[in-house]
Amino acid sequence: MSTFGVELEVHIASLRRYARALLRNRSDAEDLVQEALTRAVARADTFKAGTNLRAWLFTILHNVHVNQVRSKASRPDEVDVDSVESKLVTPARQEERVELREMMRALDDLPEEQRKVLLLVALEGLKYEEVAETLGVPIGTVMSRLSRAREAVRAKLANEGSVALRRVK
Amino acid sequence: MNAHCVTDDELHAYVDGQLAPERRLFVERWLADDPDAARRAEDYRAQAALLHELFDPVLREPASGPVEELTGKLRGRMPGNDNAGPWHARSWVRMAAAVMLIIGGAGGGWLGRGAVDQSPVVQQRQTLQTFAEEATQAHRFYTSDERFQVELGADNQDELNSWLSKRVGRDVFGPDLGKVGLRLIGGRSLPTELGAGAQYMYVNEANKRVTLFVGAPRSGNPAKFGFSQNGDVATIYWVEGPLAYALAGRMSKEDLLRVAEAVYNDVKAGPRRPEPQQQNQQNQQPPQDQPPQPQQDQPPAGVQPISDTHKPKDS
Repeated sequence: MSTFGVELEVHIASLRRYARALLRNRSDAEDLVQEALTRAVARADTFKAGTNLRAWLFTILHNVHVNQVRSKASRPDEVDVDSVESKLVTPARQEERVELREMMRALDDLPEEQRKVLLLVALEGLKYEEVAETLGVPIGTVMSRLSRAREAVRAKLANEGSVALRRVK
Repeated sequence: MNAHCVTDDELHAYVDGQLAPERRLFVERWLADDPDAARRAEDYRAQAALLHELFDPVLREPASGPVEELTGKLRGRMPGNDNAGPWHARSWVRMAAAVMLIIGGAGGGWLGRGAVDQSPVVQQRQTLQTFAEEATQAHRFYTSDERFQVELGADNQDELNSWLSKRVGRDVFGPDLGKVGLRLIGGRSLPTELGAGAQYMYVNEANKRVTLFVGAPRSGNPAKFGFSQNGDVATIYWVEGPLAYALAGRMSKEDLLRVAEAVYNDVKAGPRRPEPQQQNQQNQQPPQDQPPQPQQDQPPAGVQPISDTHKPKDS
């Protein structure tokens, strides 16, 4: 098995998970990944072999997302039924548990810049430097967003009386 | 907070596995003395675990057609690509990618989870984890003494497979792992929380043993799979079709992943000599050149099942 092939596959799986967590809607997430990969293919020659492939891919995805948000904001008249719907529809049965629902809600309540940092670090396991590179912000900003995001989620989960979250071990 | 010269950033880095190794001990000491900080670290970890629980299922979903296609294109276009050839076993690669993402997850994910609560969903997951734990224990136990390692040898694999299939209540077979240098030496049936399980034992040239534990979960949950490390024994487990698999061995996770790939591919391909009832297994495509073997209903005469004489518990 090609090492590069598996590495690429791992990163793309990671992109897909991140896109889903960010957008919460399957088809929007796949579209975002698709557009990011289209751009990656077009710019493949700008990638320097031996440098950080993961950060390169996440950076492209982030830029595409920022552009999408911007172009959506410039057309405020269009009512995005899908996104409203996706907020209303509980996506999957894994949300049966209260703490999962609360986590989802807490995630939704975060400002997007904090949500991105939390997901990139806690879900995708990116290094802080990679997050800084991806989002184009200083590492100090990454750390403060991470800290605020975690405390906000923590307060939410604690408020919801989610004592079960306290782990036995 | 900084009474012991540990910063807030360092607490995050500790949770995320990004702390400089030489600071680790400082942070751990601080956490031992400061229950509030310890609780924060624990809560942050729990958040990561919840995020994984919510979104890891995406890893098992097939990507959309265009995304698949672009992945292939990108693979061909990227400098540093050492293999632009045909890409085999896509579903395996997806699973390997998923396992790596879960293994690689710092602090969170499936690795660090203790008993959280007892909702049905959790119970189901725990059942699979318990299955993996049982597989690990069984590996430890039955590799410790060569005299008792198998109930029935692999001299007659059809006999072995049909006997174990009968025990498990599903069609199971010992995959051919010759490609990764492992030879099937036999198997045994064991009681598990999921009902009877089948343990297949393999050995390589260096006399190292790997066991594959197969069981039938009561309800299939194909999104769940994972990795555990218990002392020196690594275990990769997953659900495929109607069966749960746990592969255990004393080896690195990379090596074990390679064996898991061979298991996965061979299970997909199906047994070399399929028996009629095996057609109800998911995606089974029996080879055309082999006539179906008549199914044997009675246990083979040569079996002297040890577990029958002192059945530990009725499963």
